[in-house]
Amino acid sequence: METKPKLAMYWAASCGGCEIALVNIHEKIFDVMDSFDFMFCPCLMDTKYHDIEALADGSIAITFFNGALRTDENIHMARLLRQKSQLLIAFGSCAAEGCIPGLGNLSSRQDLMDRIYRDSLTLDDHQGPLPATSTGVVEGNLTLPEFLPVVKTLGQVVAVDYSIPGCPPESHQVWNCVNAVIQGHPLGAKGAILGGGRSTVCAECVRTRTEKKIRTLYRTYEILPDAETCLLEQGLLCMGVVTRDGCGGLCPRVNMPCTGCYGPPEGVLDQGAKMISALGSMLDLEDAGEVNVDDYARRMDVLLEGIPDLAGTLYKYSLAGSILGGKRTP
Amino acid sequence: MGVGVYFCTCGGVISQQVDAQSACASIMEIPGVSYVETIEFMCAEEGKDALEQDLRRKKPKQVVIAACSPREHENTFRRVLARGEVNPYCMQMANIREHVAWVTTDPRQALTKAVSVIRGALGRVRRHESLVPESLDVCSDVLVIGAGPAGLKAALGLAKGGRKVTLVEKGPVIGGMPVRMESVFPGMECGSCMVEPLLDDILQGQHAPSITLLTLAEVVDVAGYFGNFLVKIERKPRYVSKGCIGCGECVPVCGVSEKNPFNCGMNQRQAIDFPFAGALPNLPFLNMELCVRSRGEDCKKCQQACPVENAIDFFDRGETLEVKVGAIVLAIGSRLEDCSIFPNLGYGKVEDVFTSFEFERMLAHNGPLGGELGSVTPGGRPLQTIALIHCVGSMDSRYRDYCSETCCQNAFKFNHEIHKLLPEAQVVHLYRELVAPGKGGYPLIRQGMQSPHTHAIRYSNQDDIQVTRAAERLDVRLSGDVVATADMVVLCPATIPSVDHRQLGGMMDVVCDRNGFFAELHNRTDAVQSRIRGIYLAGSCQSPMDLKQSMGQGMAVSGHVLAELVAGGMIEIEPITASVDDQRCSACGTCLPVCPFKAIHRQEDGKAWINRVLCVGCGTCVAACPGGVIKGNHFTNTAIMAEIEGVLA
Repeated sequence: METKPKLAMYWAASCGGCEIALVNIHEKIFDVMDSFDFMFCPCLMDTKYHDIEALADGSIAITFFNGALRTDENIHMARLLRQKSQLLIAFGSCAAEGCIPGLGNLSSRQDLMDRIYRDSLTLDDHQGPLPATSTGVVEGNLTLPEFLPVVKTLGQVVAVDYSIPGCPPESHQVWNCVNAVIQGHPLGAKGAILGGGRSTVCAECVRTRTEKKIRTLYRTYEILPDAETCLLEQGLLCMGVVTRDGCGGLCPRVNMPCTGCYGPPEGVLDQGAKMISALGSMLDLEDAGEVNVDDYARRMDVLLEGIPDLAGTLYKYSLAGSILGGKRTP
Repeated sequence: MGVGVYFCTCGGVISQQVDAQSACASIMEIPGVSYVETIEFMCAEEGKDALEQDLRRKKPKQVVIAACSPREHENTFRRVLARGEVNPYCMQMANIREHVAWVTTDPRQALTKAVSVIRGALGRVRRHESLVPESLDVCSDVLVIGAGPAGLKAALGLAKGGRKVTLVEKGPVIGGMPVRMESVFPGMECGSCMVEPLLDDILQGQHAPSITLLTLAEVVDVAGYFGNFLVKIERKPRYVSKGCIGCGECVPVCGVSEKNPFNCGMNQRQAIDFPFAGALPNLPFLNMELCVRSRGEDCKKCQQACPVENAIDFFDRGETLEVKVGAIVLAIGSRLEDCSIFPNLGYGKVEDVFTSFEFERMLAHNGPLGGELGSVTPGGRPLQTIALIHCVGSMDSRYRDYCSETCCQNAFKFNHEIHKLLPEAQVVHLYRELVAPGKGGYPLIRQGMQSPHTHAIRYSNQDDIQVTRAAERLDVRLSGDVVATADMVVLCPATIPSVDHRQLGGMMDVVCDRNGFFAELHNRTDAVQSRIRGIYLAGSCQSPMDLKQSMGQGMAVSGHVLAELVAGGMIEIEPITASVDDQRCSACGTCLPVCPFKAIHRQEDGKAWINRVLCVGCGTCVAACPGGVIKGNHFTNTAIMAEIEGVLA
């Protein structure tokens, strides 16, 4: 009879990277196994939903829930696991703030279906069937989970105890959290972010900063940035300034701008809006006093043309969970 | 005790639209509300007393005052809260008069709207923190930079107000432009006579002991902030000490001379000499670069001629002084545009073409000609016609996109002076616009125009003018046609910022406007304050202006400083400022350039630090801070969000 506390990891609308982040703690996974009964993880093992439904409420000690909520199946599992778990942890950016699946909120359900099943250039049959919750075939009736109109974060549907940011969360941070539970250390106030810092990625970035004045914005393929200077100051739209620290500043370390996967820092309600606000202070339109409003607007447009997908860049990870939420679609 | 809500009926102005009873009943249902009280006229004395007593009795943690606009009475009620022993910042006003009663006709809608506004205020006030104003010791001494009319007037006003003033002048002479002028428009009084009483007051008047005048001195560094500036001043050697009695015995014995820069190079000055006759302070100065001693000769002629022992000190090394002041007055003046940038006007290439300042000096008794503008030009040709070209470089978007304000009246002053000296001379004005505001301006121009010897020609583009020498005279052409044949041409160039604007401004974070003049706090309501608290602007360093305006600004500044920087007092720092969470700041530097008041500085570790004395709580950095680590006190994000949520609930 297993007496160790039960540990579950579930994926909703997710890529699987979070599971890899967990196993990337390498041999420490044995410590996890020693301390927990790792009993549910559809990515790694064959436990069935009805096995979970059969459990008594609150019988799972910790559930790491990764993935955004895209379908009614995701919602069902979110509610079920909430009911069965003592601690429900939004694991990774998708569960915490919507992440890449959340960008679906910029399009209507119809647009998404058309794009994938009607308009895609790689389709052989542009008139084939669209996925439906119920489709009659000769063999019988096929069912699929319902594709919901908007992507939600875990916290928008059920109460979440803690969140671990990152796409995926850095393994050392995952271990810090798991180890804290193993050691019985307090995890902080309910709702707290685990495995992240209280500042921004700039705090972990070793590049030198002088003055935040951006003349031209570049995409990463357009320039080879110098390895010492702040990437933002070189015109690359590094999201590090509006992103929680905790990752170790890995991307800027290898000459890539931060894309913001650790989400907004403490006290920032909307990562994209905050970046727009900050950019307003950084974009150098030269001596604005010398130009008229139209000219000013034109210069602004020219500068912003450097960011072809503004929403996708500024809200790459946080759209579903942001104040903006997405685009209102029919 | 939670939140206390006070509902002002405003004697019916509010309650006739918003039913007080229903409103109070709805408010009581909002969680966190401890009580609701209705007061008829809360801003009246009885109303304030009633509020104070009720606060003392009930001791609420926070207070919502549902009444009028906070613009009208927020400070009134903050004072009442303080009297009632509740922190004045733990109060939020809900504007149910202007925002509801006055603009909502349907009473049901008015009630709903009033309750929403109050709910917002409640949501917000619960997140208000007790704030306490801080006080800081201040130094009440003042530094005035520039000893022209504005700086002198400010310095004297401050000294009269009991302040110690350090007055720094870059040149060897004080008094600015008027002491170099034969006459001052519009009344034609002698310029140096007009300002002489002021100069005397500064140098030896009753308040002179409070004024430390440093000539040949420049400010080289400024640190600190309002109330506590530390200023480094470099005094260059004059080689003539204060023991000098100004007798001038040293001058004629000196064997070397140079073109006198104080007379635009139109006469000579000895290596030791006065800048010009009557220049104050009445001390010559030695140009050591010119003096033969700098070439190793042991000449002591001036020292030997001097009746005062040790008045001339060849070993004067100058000095660097540090002074602590509470406020700084920038009164560094302006200069004239360099006319050689307009080759078509002939300046610098064609003989007998002068600038207005050169002409000013020619007219002046203390100038190179001793005020004797004879019937021949300095070039020796007969002087019958003088052409005055106005607006040179002014009102032209390629050069200076503004009117320099003083040149028209100055040109008609010249008109007057020329006719005084040479009644038969013809004076031709070429102007783009004629500007003569004020009581004296128009009469001056009218009077000039009435003379049969005065001619005025309007031009639209300065490029159409061509000044060339034609045999013995000067041809002034407009679009190719000769419009005047003159013997002398005087150009009236634009007034432009001095050569020191950028550097001095940069030293103290005072920004320059798009024309390069010091930017004022507000161009109509606060033109003598810079955007940096404690740094004031006086005279033409802020904008082109005449003597009257400069003197007026000097006086205004002294009033400002006397009112704001009270001797022996403290300055109170308003607690509604921004603050950086030092632990969380990532040193990205985004906030640094956005502060209009230059209150944000980097610490040694690169993190931002906000000087609370300079911060006005505008919130620009709070919005810009990408990390959300700058908090706008009293306007925190959580409080604002709670207010929005309350209104929308």
